[in-house]
Formats: sequence, C-alpha cells, structure tokens
Amino acid sequence: MNFKGTLPTLILEALVREPSHGYRIAQQIKERSQGVLDFKEGTLYPALHKLENDGLVESYEGVEKGRPRRYYRITKAGRGALTRDRAEWRELSRAVTTILGEA
Amino acid sequence: MTGLDSWLRQATRGLSKDSSAQVRTEIHEHYESAREAAINNGAAAQEADRSALAALGDAATANRQYRRVLLTSSEARMLREGNWEAQAVCSRSLVKWLLAAVPVAALWAAAALYLAGEGLIARVVVAGAVMMGLLFTAPYLPVYTTSRSRVFRGVKWVAMMCALVLAFGPDALKYFWLLTACVWQFAWVEWTRNSIRRKLPVSRWPRQLYL
Repeated sequence: MNFKGTLPTLILEALVREPSHGYRIAQQIKERSQGVLDFKEGTLYPALHKLENDGLVESYEGVEKGRPRRYYRITKAGRGALTRDRAEWRELSRAVTTILGEA
Repeated sequence: MTGLDSWLRQATRGLSKDSSAQVRTEIHEHYESAREAAINNGAAAQEADRSALAALGDAATANRQYRRVLLTSSEARMLREGNWEAQAVCSRSLVKWLLAAVPVAALWAAAALYLAGEGLIARVVVAGAVMMGLLFTAPYLPVYTTSRSRVFRGVKWVAMMCALVLAFGPDALKYFWLLTACVWQFAWVEWTRNSIRRKLPVSRWPRQLYL
C-alpha cells in the first residue's frame, strides 16, 4: 500500500516506546500494520536521517548480539511532532471516512 | 562484486566520503539482519541474500533520497574550502584593519568624485564599497544564531541588489545579463549553503553557514 509521506510519522510512532535500530523499526511497522504497510527498506534510512536533521530523533552507537548498531531514539521535539501528526491524521481520516461513507 | 556491493555503489553515487561510509555501514547492518532473519525462517543462504537485497528496493530511488538528506561530495568540498568570507579577511590583524578600511576609503573617494561632478563613477564606487563592506565585515558581525543569520542573509542580498542597481542606474534592466553574470556565483554558493543548512543540525554548522 502506498503510504508516501506518512513514513516519518510511523517511524516516530515506532520509536515512542523504546529506542530501536533501523531493521527493527522496519519490521515493527510491517508487523503492526499486519503486512499492509510494506515499503522498500532502503528508503527508511533517508527518512531517519531527515528526522535526525530536524532534531526529532537522535542516534547513538549500541550493541546487539555482539554486533555494533546505530540506535535511534525520539527527542522531546519528536514527541511533540508525533502528537501533532496523530491529531492531523485523525482529522484527515475522519474526513475521508465521512466522504467515502456517503458514497 | 556482490549484489549488495552493486546496490551500495549506486545508492552512494555522488555522496561525500563520510556520508557514503555512513550509508554503507547502516545498509550492511540492515542487510545482515534481514539475511539472518530469512535463514532463521528456513531460507537457503542464496535465497536469503536475494530476499534481503530485494527488500532494500531500488538503489537509484534510495540515492535520490539520500542526496536530499546527506552531504554530497560537492557540498562537503564547499564546507571544507568554502569559508571564503573569512579567508578574504586575512587572519593577520593589520591586514584585517587595512581591508576593513577599504570600503570606508571607497566611500570617501565616492564623495570626492561626486563633488567633482563624476556622478556615474561615484555610483559605481559606492556600489563597490557596499559589496566590499559586506564581504570584509561579515565574519565579524554578531550573526551566529539562526534567526540573526537569516536576517543578515536577507539584508546581504537586498544590499547586493541595491548596489548593483545603483551601479548601473536606469540601465540596470538593460544590463540584466551582466547583473546575472555578477551574482550567479554568489547565488550558487547561497543555494548550496541552503542545502547544507537543511542537512546539518544547527549544532554542527560551521561559521560560514551563518553568513
């Protein structure tokens, strides 16, 4: 399913519970959407870098199973952005549902 | 060359050395995890490689997206070598003060020329003084916060345009091509710096990005 433009919000949502690395974020989005939101994983990292440049997430070096990994965690500004995104999405979703329900 | 190497070569095309290394590391980590997961799910090694690579998607698309958020090689070069405002004003204090005196001397010369009836030349000299003033004093102005820097850049461009219009007078539009030739390099530098500003967090901005 095409969900262009919502990937940054989904990444923030995935990070709100705990810091994570790129692969786990990608799997989490796919699993939580029950496979509906399938995306090319090569596009995940540019989105993560953009969020980092905007100060919405920050990264640090970590280790998983003895392997060094780059972890990402949401910042305070990121939580604020996520709250705004959620509200916008609910509004948009309600409006579209109303229109489609009329059809 | 493996499929992953080929993917990485395409995805990192045009990126700076550091950006390229960063992409290689993160994609390698990702690929290894995807491959491992596929093997744990019972896939053969070759099939695991194929599915991990397919999951990454199109390398050209990734390259376009990476170039929007990570420094390209030309931007990295500009960051290394592009502090030309500060380089123009030499670090030796005597030369610094001499250079700072040039715009002031030019303004005095313009006043003398104007009084001598050489209005046209005086206008050109004033324009030159404004441009030199912007160039020589910029590194010493208190503009090293994002909001002040934005104001300074706006003022700089307005002053530059005004100086050029002043120099060419009523013929400014007629000599549009010449004006364009004068400012294109400044415009290109500004364009590239804007791109770098979007890609680097403010905490990592070098001084020239504020100018």
